[in-house]
Amino acid sequence: MTALATVPAPMSTAPAAAATPLVRVAGLTLGYGAAPPVVEAVDLSVAAGELVSLVGPSGSGKSTILRALVGLHPPRAGTIACTLAGCEIGFLFQEDALLPWRTVRQNVALGLRLAGRSRAAAEAEAEVWLERLGLGGLGERWPRQLSGGQRKRVALAQVMALRPRLLLMDEPFAALDAILRRQITQELLDWVEGEGIAVLLVTHDLEEAIALSDRILLLGRGPRARIRGTYEVPIPRPRDLVAVHAHPAFAPLLQRLWTDLAAEVAGSGLPRAAA
Amino acid sequence: MRGPALRRLLAGFLLMALWEVAVARGWLDPFYLPPPSRIAVTLGELFARPVFYEHLLATFTAAIAGLGLGLLIGAVLGLLAALVRPVAELLEPVMVLLNAIPRVILAPLFVIWFGIGLGSKVALAVVLVAVLVFFAVHAGVRDVDPRLVERVVTLGGGRWAVVREVYLPSVTAWVMGNLRVAVGFAFTGAVVGEFVASSRGLGYLLSFAQSTYNAAQVVALVLLVAAVVLLLFALAGALERRLLRWRHG
Repeated sequence: MTALATVPAPMSTAPAAAATPLVRVAGLTLGYGAAPPVVEAVDLSVAAGELVSLVGPSGSGKSTILRALVGLHPPRAGTIACTLAGCEIGFLFQEDALLPWRTVRQNVALGLRLAGRSRAAAEAEAEVWLERLGLGGLGERWPRQLSGGQRKRVALAQVMALRPRLLLMDEPFAALDAILRRQITQELLDWVEGEGIAVLLVTHDLEEAIALSDRILLLGRGPRARIRGTYEVPIPRPRDLVAVHAHPAFAPLLQRLWTDLAAEVAGSGLPRAAA
Repeated sequence: MRGPALRRLLAGFLLMALWEVAVARGWLDPFYLPPPSRIAVTLGELFARPVFYEHLLATFTAAIAGLGLGLLIGAVLGLLAALVRPVAELLEPVMVLLNAIPRVILAPLFVIWFGIGLGSKVALAVVLVAVLVFFAVHAGVRDVDPRLVERVVTLGGGRWAVVREVYLPSVTAWVMGNLRVAVGFAFTGAVVGEFVASSRGLGYLLSFAQSTYNAAQVVALVLLVAAVVLLLFALAGALERRLLRWRHG
């Protein structure tokens, strides 16, 4: 396993909810074509160093919200206020989406070159990140020559090389097998905790959401999905993805989330409003 | 040499031997189908005459100029049509029509417009190649994976970065995939153009040989054009493998 954390994270249970948000969404309504909105009047914020997860039923518009935050989906209504420049926001997609005609090194260097770095400097830094992610020696390969896990690490290196302050993640490791997924997720968690990077994670995996997050937002059933509940996760950092399951707060929170999510999916009533 | 190539070569030799014997025994009339030995002698005679190289150069010039211009025009128009809706509305019906008809029928018109010199041959080769490349580029742009576009955008790329990093490589892959066909089209345009009206080139020699019922020279020229195109096919294939090594590597 490759250790990514460079700075030990302070022990803390207090999310930076009170801090100035890096991104604040108010009254966000999103839709496709003339159909009813997928999500309606969504409010959320992510503060510096805070890990927030967005969970909800399939098709509730979780991914659409993330896409709207980076301008890939125009809002019908509402505001998105962001204190960050574009290059300070990293986005990890479900698919690794590497350019097949660029080598692994060139793919990792892409964001740096787009940020204005020279090719030589960008590729030299890309090589450092490849080494750090255990991909040393693979810089000259083409993406199609890599395994699924290696491609994910390249996508991760591509985003990490930009040193973002906010990381948006749309179930980036969902397609990996359980062992590899846990390994890469732990490496990512060590890195974001160490560097104090804020994260907004979209996931359908409630255990993953609890293990990673300071705060979980439950999005209701679509169309016209809204935030139905907010759940603080009182588990100290730094966290270990295996050990976190043994924390006394883990199981009760998982039970509450399951109950409320099941109620949403069934449409049989509203879950409790907030923890 | 590997098994299949060796077998193909042996089969070719066997066929030519049978052909030679068939003519020698009188089973085939050499007036219609001269024996391989006669064709080889004719080829040797052609290469021995300095003026032949002027004809060869004329055809090469028309084909290569037509190929280059056709690639450029087809790529630019295809890219414009794929990215600018009004351009597509204007160009697509014309290109669909040009693609549907046998475009060599335009040769007489090009002779009227551009004369019997190089211009009309290049024009025919350009039309043949450009229509092919137009649709290849169009397909290349349509085939672009939107996730790659979003990847570049979320890494901070603007419109030009998306074109450079995503659209151009995708289009190049499609054009390269059609390069060998384009080479064949370029030579078709040059030779047919010369055949219709010209004072030089392999097509002109073909026309002359036909008018004098010189079957040996016709077959020799056909084999020569085929050899030249096969050589360029090999070069185009090597270029494709080089530029698309991310796909083949």
